[in-house]
Amino acid sequence: MSSTVVTLNVNGESREFLCRPGTTLLDALRENLALNAAKKGCAQGSCGTCTVLIEGRAVFSCLVPVETVFGRPVETLEGLASGDTLHPLQAAFIEGFATQCGFCTSGMILAAKALLRANPDPTRDDVVRAISGNVCRCTGYEAIVDAILTAAARLQKATPRKRAAE
Amino acid sequence: MLRAIDVPQTTAQALNSLVRARDAAVIAGGTTMMPRVQAGDSGIGALVSLGRLKLDRIEAKGERIVIGAAATLAAIAEHKALGFLAGAIDSVGSPTLRNLATIGGNLFMKQPYGDLAVCLLALDAELTVISKKGTRKIPIAAFLAKSIGRDTIVTAVSFMRPAKGSWFYRKAMRRAQNSAAIVTIAAHLPPTKGKIAEARIALGGCGERPVRAKAAEQALNGAKLDAASISTAAGLLANDAKPFTDAYASAWYRARVLPVHFRRAVLGE
Repeated sequence: MSSTVVTLNVNGESREFLCRPGTTLLDALRENLALNAAKKGCAQGSCGTCTVLIEGRAVFSCLVPVETVFGRPVETLEGLASGDTLHPLQAAFIEGFATQCGFCTSGMILAAKALLRANPDPTRDDVVRAISGNVCRCTGYEAIVDAILTAAARLQKATPRKRAAE
Repeated sequence: MLRAIDVPQTTAQALNSLVRARDAAVIAGGTTMMPRVQAGDSGIGALVSLGRLKLDRIEAKGERIVIGAAATLAAIAEHKALGFLAGAIDSVGSPTLRNLATIGGNLFMKQPYGDLAVCLLALDAELTVISKKGTRKIPIAAFLAKSIGRDTIVTAVSFMRPAKGSWFYRKAMRRAQNSAAIVTIAAHLPPTKGKIAEARIALGGCGERPVRAKAAEQALNGAKLDAASISTAAGLLANDAKPFTDAYASAWYRARVLPVHFRRAVLGE
């Protein structure tokens, strides 16, 4: 039952902390690193509010023991903005009223970021599928899908990209 | 409470960890193991991660396909030579889940989860397992009937690539995405000189584990693949399907819609 020292690369920074065996990435982010954007909704991988990125891919951080991150870069919502400049996804969510209580928002934005990295020009159906692991009880999803498509268009305009090579 | 989580560098170390601690369990993607552990009453005191064992290789160039048990569903779906499985994988959970969930883990699910296991049954897959006694191969049907000891690890699944046009899959769900099965159908109906030979039909949601629809298979062997033969086969699924009642659907409902979804799977109705 002894704690071990774990080092994670989170939002580009090396972070070191002490934790019990099998501490989830979610608990490490929230309790050890004070990165509270990722939420604990179900602890089962059913709600998506804990979604973060590992190597650019969306994962349920409530299901990942920290010992299995293996040094891969972790991204949370806190790492999205550049200083005072919001990421286009954040801006689009605010402008499009795609966030009400905000509980699903972190997970939604990161799931969207993972989508746009792999597929910079998604269809509406692509977006719906990408966020199919994220539950929202407030918005009815449409505003969220619209915001993601708006952000995608803005990102494409700023730096046009082809779909990432498989 | 977890005492420890082991991250062995070799399968020998992993097997030692499993043998040494009677309450140790294997963790791959963690999508079923972590909820169990966090529920608090699992009896699991230690986890042995497969993450460093390089069990995620996919060999799919030829006709014999070999997929490491720790290959994620996302990696399999993205593999250029495994396009025939993309539809099935897309029906499992969400993209986020599929970045963690593994093909090996899917084998241990109880229905109505475990759609890859349904596919692997229809593909007559073979599992490679390793224990302190050595490596051996188990046919999937035997695995589904008896499972394996807690000190044994599945390291790979292998199967022959189905001929073009012989693979059919359909999963009936309550929602369009991220939903367990009402019923799942995976069928391998290869033609030999225009007639079906060695039909294999696997069903999900029709028993605790995936089942082969043997009566329907027998009716199809030697027949042409057309609406008539498929309708006949659809009527025989009930001989082998034992659907259950749960939150998604009643046994009555599953039995009622099974032949309909079977026809839709094969004929695309």
